[in-house]
Parts: sequence; structure tokens; C-alpha cells
Amino acid sequence: MIIVEKLHKTFEDNHVLRGVSYHVHQGEKIVIVGPSGSGKSTFLRCLNLLEIPSSGDIWFEGTRITDPKTDIDKIREHMGMVFQNFNLFNNLTIMENITLAPVKLKIMGKEEAGENALKLLERVGLKEKADAYPSQLSGGQKQRVAIVRSLAMNPKVMLFDEPTSALDPEMVGEVLEVMKGLAESGMTMVVVTHEMGFAREVGTKVLFMDEGIIMEENTPQEFFGNPQSPRLQEFLSKVL
Amino acid sequence: MQAWFEKVARMFKTAFITGDRWKLYLEGLGVTLQIAVFAAILGMLIGTVLAFMKLSVRRNGKRTILAVIANIYIDIIRGTPSVLQLMIMWFIIFSSAKNGVVVAVLSFGINSGAYVAEIVRAGILAVDKGQMEAGRSLGLSKAQTMIYVIIPQAVKNVLPPIGNEFIVLLKETAIVGYVSLTDLTRAANQIASRTYDAFMPLIGAAVIYFVVIKILTVLLGILEGRLRKSDNR
Repeated sequence: MIIVEKLHKTFEDNHVLRGVSYHVHQGEKIVIVGPSGSGKSTFLRCLNLLEIPSSGDIWFEGTRITDPKTDIDKIREHMGMVFQNFNLFNNLTIMENITLAPVKLKIMGKEEAGENALKLLERVGLKEKADAYPSQLSGGQKQRVAIVRSLAMNPKVMLFDEPTSALDPEMVGEVLEVMKGLAESGMTMVVVTHEMGFAREVGTKVLFMDEGIIMEENTPQEFFGNPQSPRLQEFLSKVL
Repeated sequence: MQAWFEKVARMFKTAFITGDRWKLYLEGLGVTLQIAVFAAILGMLIGTVLAFMKLSVRRNGKRTILAVIANIYIDIIRGTPSVLQLMIMWFIIFSSAKNGVVVAVLSFGINSGAYVAEIVRAGILAVDKGQMEAGRSLGLSKAQTMIYVIIPQAVKNVLPPIGNEFIVLLKETAIVGYVSLTDLTRAANQIASRTYDAFMPLIGAAVIYFVVIKILTVLLGILEGRLRKSDNR
């Protein structure tokens, strides 16, 4: 579904990604962990070209999206993204946040988008917040709305960039619950996170990124039960 | 005491009532407001265009030719006195023009545009860049995200400094006397020299400016309050 080949990304003289290649298949839940500064967020942001790779190629369903001639807006309609800082549109109500893209991109009519939004909001228990503004919501509620906003576009894959890192501890659970539900529904997911419990429970593959490369990749059992590289062993001993 | 009151009353009468002089202040105020309002509109149009020119970037992250032009414009306008700009417009560029008000509107509009450009640019840059990223990640184009998400938030940011800019502009029109337009300040000055009393006309004009700007400030406050609706917690 997503094929990444020899991805490099340099910021000024900081070489963040040093040749990442990976293949995400339909229905997989890829969880990426690693120390801060390892390039995992940059890697994720390259997948929908929020960061433009310095070199290397990315294919999405057979389209080479790193080709400058590709209409990236069309591709992004099929790739949802959830941010660490939620990034809800502050000037719009929750309902407007969710319906803006589907309506403006003429994927749905206004009414259909509204009904769909209410259905999705109900699923995450926030139907009564439809007319509220983002500033009136808690962090956990904001993140659940952000997930719904992405889902309203019916994406084929969802990218999560440390979705629980900016949350108070008591709100982490409610967001992870929504993500688990999404995983069970069969959504293809790529998740950058520090939640090892989530990686173990939901991940079909866990990647360990360090120094701009994928240092280790395995199933959750093997990844946590039998880590190979010394760097991963050290990392796990610190976070578990 | 009574004599003093009588004297003040006489001065007031001479400055405002005799020969229907109050009409002269009103006509002057009319000129002042005309120039200020139309120059403000022109300034906002020019300023917004300049701001977007300055914000434009090429794919490789370098500045565009539009950004360079906008920078030169802003540098020149901010680097020269507005009185001089007005005189250059009136005596050189439009030396054959008949309608002084139009020339003044152009001159102040061009001047104000340079300041508004920086205000608008700052207002747009102050919107969190995550807002643009979120819009783009949903498949919206840069222009769509600008229109529906960034600009509405930027408007809230720029309203206080834009109000300030308008107030400055309104008062700065007092220099149009240099190109023989009779605005409020010049009207007051003319009455002062005709009646040999500077106190009443000048203080009177000052009070009129103050009241107009006070009304404006209150209106801007109300507008700002409305736009802050989405910030309520």
C-alpha cells in the first residue's frame, strides 16, 4: 500500500533520515518507537509529504507521490493524519472542523457530511459537542475529534504522530481506546508513539528507529520479548 | 468670576457661532473623514496584497520576485516622511490634478498600505503552523486552507493593530493643509487667524478629533468582542 525506498531527509546540515526503506501492507498496524530525535516523526511526515524528502521515493497504491507532477492534495484525501497538538481549526465549531474538507473537496454534500459527522462523533462519545469550539474541549476530547475529522474523509490509511504525547495522563486512555477500535475495524495504521502497551497490544509490526534508520523490525512478541540490537535492548530497559 | 464667564462665552461665540463658523469645522471634519476612510480602505487593499507578496515562497524555499518588489515598496514608503510623500504627489506627480482630496486619498492609502502590509503579514504568521498542516493533511489546497482557516484567525490577530493604524492615519491627515486642502485642522487654524483667538478653535478641533476617535475605539472594541466568540472557554 505504501512503499518507501531509500528515504533521506536533511534539515540544513542535520541529516535526520539516512536511508529508510519500508513496505506497509493493507490492514497492517505499524507502530514506530524510538528515542526522541531518531527521525520517527520526520519519517511519518514524509509519508504524506508534509516534509519533502531530500531524496528517495514513496509510492502510495502504485502512484509515486514523490514525483513533483503528482497532485499531492488528491493523495492526501486518502491519508488521514492525527497530530500531537491536535491542530483542530480554532475558528470553526467541531461540526465545521469535521465537515470542512469533505464539503469543500466536493466528496459529500453539506447535509450528508453533517450526518456522517454526527455518526462518527457518536462513535467516540462526543455527539453533544458538535456545536462547541475546540477551545471548549479537553485535550482528550480534542484528539478524539481530530481522529474523527480525519475519518470523515474515509481514508485508506491513518497516520498518527505521537497522538497522546501532549495529553494529561488521565486522558491518554480515552484516545487509545478510540485508536484500538479503529484498528479492530481493519484500518491500516502507522503510529508513532511512546505508548509501549499500545504497541504490544495493537501493533502487527513494531519498528525501532534510531539515528535516522529502521534499526529493528519485528512482531510485538519478538520485539519486546527478544530484542536483537544492543541499542533496542538499552531503549527498552529505559522505557519498560 | 462672572466677567470671566462672559469672556469665555464671547470667545466661544466668536469661534463657533458668529457667521455660522461651526459649519466650517464640520466641512473640515468632512474632508478629514473622507480622506481617512477612503485612504484606510485603499491602504488595506494595498497592504493585504503586499503581505501576500511578501509571504510568497518558491518551491525551493527562496524569495520570489514579488516578495522583493513588496520589500522595496515598504522600504521606500516607510523610509520617507508622509508630508513629503503628499507634497510629491500633489506638486510633482499629480501637479495638474484638480481634486486634492483624491490625491490625498491616494497618497495616504499608498503610505498606509506599507504599514498594513506588515500588520497583515504578522497576523498570518502568528497563526499556528499546525493549522496549515492539518488543512493540507486533509487534502485541502494551500489556498483553501488560507481562506477557510488561516485568514479568519489572522483577522482576529490584526484587528487591534489595524484599528491603531486607522487612528494614526486619521490624525495624520491633519497635514493636508500643506497642499491647501481645508480639513478640520486647517479650518480651525483659519478661524484662529481670522478671530485673533487661537484657544477656542484649536481646542475645539482637538475635542472633535478626540470624540471621533473615541467612537471609533468603542466600535472596534465591539467588533473584536464578536470575533473572539470562538475563544470562549
